[in-house]
Amino acid sequence: MSDNHSSVSEGQSRHHKVEGPRKHIVAFVMSLALTLIAFAAVASGEINTQFTYIILVCMAIMQVFVQLAFWMHMKDRGHAFPIIGIAFGVIVVFTMVIMASYWVWW
Amino acid sequence: MSAHQHAEGLMSHEPEKVTMEGRNKILGFWLFLGAETVLFGTLFSAFVALRHNVGDGPKASELFELPTVFAATMILLFSSLMSVFAVQAMHRHQVKAMIGWLVATVVLGLGFLGLEITEFTTYVSEGHKMNTSAFSSSFYTLVGFHGAHVAFGVLWITLLILQILKKGLTVVTAPKIYVSAIYWHFIDVVWVFIFTVVYLMGKVAA
Repeated sequence: MSDNHSSVSEGQSRHHKVEGPRKHIVAFVMSLALTLIAFAAVASGEINTQFTYIILVCMAIMQVFVQLAFWMHMKDRGHAFPIIGIAFGVIVVFTMVIMASYWVWW
Repeated sequence: MSAHQHAEGLMSHEPEKVTMEGRNKILGFWLFLGAETVLFGTLFSAFVALRHNVGDGPKASELFELPTVFAATMILLFSSLMSVFAVQAMHRHQVKAMIGWLVATVVLGLGFLGLEITEFTTYVSEGHKMNTSAFSSSFYTLVGFHGAHVAFGVLWITLLILQILKKGLTVVTAPKIYVSAIYWHFIDVVWVFIFTVVYLMGKVAA
């Protein structure tokens, strides 16, 4: 508290530790790895269709979480409303997809 | 006590969150992205429902070429990384570096668009047109909508670069950069689902 005014730059650098490029590069490498696994699963052509689907969906969902959390700063503080906003969209989408698939397939 | 409360404007390491207007802009943009999720979600559900209705046209597994899709995926992923670096440069107040990363973002975005245009032209020459089948219509609508978003992003970020050159990095221009980066990542997130659901799953379903 006492150095609140005297050392703004120190406060900044403390914050910058959190905002360093490393976690973004980690997020990038993770995205890259997940993408490569997905493409490799299909390109190899040796895994059966059902299992490939499962791999693909898992890789996609993981990559989306990685990107939302790190690149779109969702894991940072003060992101409650953004999460509500995007979650609302996702809920509507799931309702829509379930409705559409029910309508088409059953 | 949060870093947002500092009144020193650009001295803040997060200039996009200094003003109430900036914070509201970011929140409003997230609500917009919620709506965008719905837009793409409905296009995806239409595509998933119609993807086997190929009529007389080519099937997905005959049409798609993994190397092209992989190249497009890599371009967009790198582009997304460039815009992460742009925001980080902005947080360090390195305007020149920020502009450099933004230019890289735009160039990669243009590369992606070029690849997509070539891809679509090839498909059309192979008899996969907008009106060939329910599959082709839903394919072009979904992937084309994503492409249109990339095109808009390229235009938007280009204009932002010009505005930064003219007005500099201020508490007014910073939120725009931040929000455009969020938009660009969102476009990449949508592409993750496109290459998974449209291309890879289409390639698997023989």
